[in-house]
Amino acid sequence: MRKISFLVLLGFFTSLLTAQERSYPVSTIDNSLFENANAIIRNDEIEIEVTAINKMFIRTERTVTVLNELGEELIWAGEVYDDDIKIKKQEALIIDQDGNEIKKFKKKDFQDRSLVTGATLISDARISYIDYSPKVYPFTVQYISEVQAESTIFIKDWFPVNSYSLSVEKSIYTLRNPAKIPIRFLEKNLSSHKIEKFTSEFELEYLVEHLPAYKFEKFSPGIKEFAPLVKVALNQFSLVGVKGQAENWTQLGKWQYDNLLDKKMELSPETVRKVKDLTENATDVREKIKLIYNYVQENTRYVSVQLGIGGWEPMSADEVDHLKYGDCKGLTNYTKALLASQNIPSYYAVVYGGRELKDIDEEFASMEGNHVILNVPYERENIWLECTSQTSPFNYLGGFTDNRKVLLIKSDGGEIMETTKYTPSDNLTETKISVTIDETGNFNAQLHRESFGVPYGLIYPVSDLDRSSKELYYKKEFGHLKNLKIKEINHTNDYLHPKFLEDLKVSGSKYGSVLGKRLLLPLNFTNLPALNLPRSSNRERQVEINRGFSYKDHFQFILPGSSILEFIPNNTIIENEFGSFRIEIEYAQVDGQNMLIVERSYVLQDGKWPAKKYEELRDFMLNINSLSNQKAVIVLTD
Amino acid sequence: MKKIYTLLLMAFITSGIWAQDFKFGKVSKEELEEKKHPQNKEAHAAVLYRSQKVYYDFDERSGFTVNTEVHERIKIYDKEGFDWATKEISYYRNNNGEEKISNLKAYTYNLVEGEVIDEKLRNNGIFQEEASNYKLKTKFTMPAIKEGSVIEFRYTLRSPFITTIDVTPLQYTIPLNKIDFEIKIPEFFGFRFHFNPRSSIYFKIDTASENFTYKITKQVREGGTRWNPVRHSTRTAKVDYLQNVYSIQEENIPALKKESYVDYLENYAAFIKWELQFTKFPNSPLENYAQTWEGVTKSIYNDAGLNKELQKTGFFEDDLDALLVGLVDEPSKARAIFEYVRKKVKWNDYLGFIAENGVKKAYKEGQGNVGDINLLLVSMLSYAGIQADPVLVSTRNNGIPLFPTRTGYNYVIAGISSVEGTVLLDASDPTVGYGELPDRARNWQGRIIRKDGSSDWVNLSPTYISENSRTVNVKLLEDLNVVGKCIKKMSGLEAKSYRDSFAPLATDEYIKILEKDRGDFIVTEVSNENKGSELIENYSFELKDAVENISDQIYLKPLLFTSLSENPFKAEERIYPIFFNYPKVESNTINMMIPDGYEVEHLPESGILNFKDGAITYKFLVTQNGKYLRIESILDINEIVFNPIDYKNLKDFYSLMVEKQTEAIVLKKI
Repeated sequence: MRKISFLVLLGFFTSLLTAQERSYPVSTIDNSLFENANAIIRNDEIEIEVTAINKMFIRTERTVTVLNELGEELIWAGEVYDDDIKIKKQEALIIDQDGNEIKKFKKKDFQDRSLVTGATLISDARISYIDYSPKVYPFTVQYISEVQAESTIFIKDWFPVNSYSLSVEKSIYTLRNPAKIPIRFLEKNLSSHKIEKFTSEFELEYLVEHLPAYKFEKFSPGIKEFAPLVKVALNQFSLVGVKGQAENWTQLGKWQYDNLLDKKMELSPETVRKVKDLTENATDVREKIKLIYNYVQENTRYVSVQLGIGGWEPMSADEVDHLKYGDCKGLTNYTKALLASQNIPSYYAVVYGGRELKDIDEEFASMEGNHVILNVPYERENIWLECTSQTSPFNYLGGFTDNRKVLLIKSDGGEIMETTKYTPSDNLTETKISVTIDETGNFNAQLHRESFGVPYGLIYPVSDLDRSSKELYYKKEFGHLKNLKIKEINHTNDYLHPKFLEDLKVSGSKYGSVLGKRLLLPLNFTNLPALNLPRSSNRERQVEINRGFSYKDHFQFILPGSSILEFIPNNTIIENEFGSFRIEIEYAQVDGQNMLIVERSYVLQDGKWPAKKYEELRDFMLNINSLSNQKAVIVLTD
Repeated sequence: MKKIYTLLLMAFITSGIWAQDFKFGKVSKEELEEKKHPQNKEAHAAVLYRSQKVYYDFDERSGFTVNTEVHERIKIYDKEGFDWATKEISYYRNNNGEEKISNLKAYTYNLVEGEVIDEKLRNNGIFQEEASNYKLKTKFTMPAIKEGSVIEFRYTLRSPFITTIDVTPLQYTIPLNKIDFEIKIPEFFGFRFHFNPRSSIYFKIDTASENFTYKITKQVREGGTRWNPVRHSTRTAKVDYLQNVYSIQEENIPALKKESYVDYLENYAAFIKWELQFTKFPNSPLENYAQTWEGVTKSIYNDAGLNKELQKTGFFEDDLDALLVGLVDEPSKARAIFEYVRKKVKWNDYLGFIAENGVKKAYKEGQGNVGDINLLLVSMLSYAGIQADPVLVSTRNNGIPLFPTRTGYNYVIAGISSVEGTVLLDASDPTVGYGELPDRARNWQGRIIRKDGSSDWVNLSPTYISENSRTVNVKLLEDLNVVGKCIKKMSGLEAKSYRDSFAPLATDEYIKILEKDRGDFIVTEVSNENKGSELIENYSFELKDAVENISDQIYLKPLLFTSLSENPFKAEERIYPIFFNYPKVESNTINMMIPDGYEVEHLPESGILNFKDGAITYKFLVTQNGKYLRIESILDINEIVFNPIDYKNLKDFYSLMVEKQTEAIVLKKI
């Protein structure tokens, strides 16, 4: 057994050595790999060699055939690096479809620039990459590199198909470990593929051939949930010169606490006194937490500075107190320190922030996450604080950090915990609208809308826009209303019980069409966000809806005085496992006025369903759209 | 009476304003107490004061340097203004030298319990970034920022690049209360200034000149002859010269307003560009930089190597002779050469009007920058006896050259002069047609430069019409579903945009795009083909929820899924011109057969809309012929730039068009 693996090992290694000799004509690619693919990985070899606790070499050959423009982003011919990583070798070849070399990039031909993007002010990360834009497809890029890294806490995963529309001819992963540092690894989704492997206490090898491309499907699980993946970590490691050892979250959390967080919480006696005065008259501890959070929001701002130990170490509380700014780590640690000064314990919580729900992997301890929030246990409640926002309500997570596993870093070790989930009824948007319509279809309307839960977080920033941007926002949202004029806008942000109120007065024309004596009146004054899902004849993956929502609408149409009702659609109720939809239309006369009253509600449940249910979900949404689009007919009498 | 009135007015104005002191560090309580900007209540921040002093300095070792001293005071009104507490200064280096920042000092001022408290920017708030090999950045973010803070910073940028003076900004996206600008240029440098003609703000610039003296201290070695032993002595020389001084003092410059549908916002800000025309140092001849178009043209032909590139023909002659066999007239020769260059040399994504690799190398290797490709094109056209010249172009984000300049351009295309006018060609783009230009090359005007030194403006906006016309033949079935076929013909830039966006997509991905947001719409049998310069797309479809059946009547939108359901112009007002990308015709024709057992109850009226004497027209025509209905909708956009003054009418025009397209057809059961 041992011997066979050794042979396999040898075989792998020679392929890396001869990689440059191979030519890559497109004609040799198996037909099945073209299906749904924008690019095809011809050969992806990663060899990691750990020579010491703080030294490893990563050799890469990645040869990708790009089939079209969209495939260009899958080339990945470059390295992200910082002071801790040295690029020893970097070269690339551009190959035409017959396998002939068109162009060669040597190290000096690579573009080198800092990786400071978007909201980040400064970071020591840089990128070195080739800048090549072909105008003929297909073509192939062969990229070869060798880097030396000190931070062995990050060991590259084996993730052969790391994107949609990417197929793989061959992918090899080797971890060599002459330093004999014990390793851990976790295999995911390997079973359904023919994978050759060799694993031992210290070393790993994986090989796979012929992985077809995944097609993107709406409402599907994240790609890591179904694509082959091997996560790897060393049990003894180094992070920018700081050494450590850990085999599980408890130990890794403890190491992070001791090396990144501890002794970062000191505050000047003056600040402590200030916080004490601030919280002195609070009725209970929860109130104190609230006051301190509010103090942080009023006195700091968010500035992203990704320096310090690999961007993992927060600025000290004292420094934040002085500068009045910090990044997520610094501000969270600062809030934690202010709470601690009043003997309120709280925990630094590492999370993947983003609209998509992404967990810290409970099963495998490694450096994860891209954001930090604060967990404050209070009695039986878990309070969560987003310290980077000056406007987020107390204990409000919103769609950025809700319902996911996070890592709490405690002095006695790491602990995985889940953040608050918003249920469909928490995520409520409720609208009340009164519309007065005249004989020509001109209208005046008063809108009142209340948003809670995740919708609250999405809508309240609108109150900070200037007047003309606010108008534009509503004109876009209500784009279906013709010649819309926004006459009044009032916003109320109920920060205490997160709830955002919008009161608008608007007018417009041609609401519905006048056809001779008839007025055709659409019943959806505002549109529901039911999606028009694409058809999918052979859905492969299960249907996942991460967040449920509910909508309640009450429309009151006040009709022209001289009119009679000719037709109203039937009341309809749909209920199924995805949620429900209800529309009720009533004609009424109130105080001598003719009115149409429409009650509409829509609930979308979160959950997981087998792939075959997709068509039902699509039908449900199509149905909602066409039921909402129904019209009433009014006959105008003079 | 008049006098009194003026006095009163002045008193009124001054009484509202406290006496401000703009000395560095003299931030007042009043500035900190101000809650909102007096003129612009919605501003999140404002520049209270900006001073920029530019001057030349001389020292013996490094010679002249250009120094820019900046001092800025910014008020932050609310949290949305916090971004203004972070500042980024970009500067450059190359093999000849490096710009340097010095004397950076900055403070944040806050009002704490009625006292003005300052907080210094320390090193932990200052960051250096090497953005690329040539571009460096110093960034800083101010400490202790809260709503109401005032920040103040100053620094000096020292540059060895003495023949370049950076653009002087005169307007921001927040209000600028007071600007104090001064530049002193020694007489050795002949600079001319240009205000941005697209900005509507007027600035008064004062010019003066003053004497200036610099001293040179030299160690001089004397003697060394037999009778005269070596001596070292120090000598001081004095050089007197004149400096030209330009200054601007201006107040209350409004914020540059952001708007959508603007080609490039920064093109509308107030600024000054500085153009070096000549240098004339003592005891040196006058060196001409760019003074006239003739000078520019000659310098490009001679110094930048254009002449050399255009004269190289040997390497392609045989290939070209073979290509042109049998072609007689000029247009077909030109077309053949254009297609040939485009296939032969691929664009490597680099701009430039100079052949970076050289046309010969580009031809051999099959790739090159814009200069390589289009100069090769010019050279081949000339070889074939066609009158072709390079046309210098500045891409949209590169601004618009305001004066004869070499550096203002970053792109080149080929221009064929014939009796019918100039035909512009860009062989760097794989999908653009003969005589058409891609987006990036269509910025205002180009400059055609000829070998004899003559040059002219060339309009880069298309004069040809791009077409997008759809014919939809449908049948309304008895179950009220709609089935049909759609044929779409595209020409010109419409065809190009289709090729760019959809050609790379797999069929089922493209079907998803066609079906998107069109309700229960199922597309099958998609195909497309090139027919000459036209592109034709065909597909079949089934549309399920297009029709409403209400008490024995059928309601449907006349243009079905092809209608425009929203007015794209939403804002009430407009400050900047409105740009349509290019002239085009967009037409949709629906031929519909009505089902048995139904008759027409109501048809929308035909009508014609006309905007600005035919600049844009819209025709909506409905005709009935027995069981057949024909609905035609034709939008002609003939002119592409409109002034803000036309905005309201343009918006109304689109409103009426949307109304037409959304008015229902009603059929009744017989």
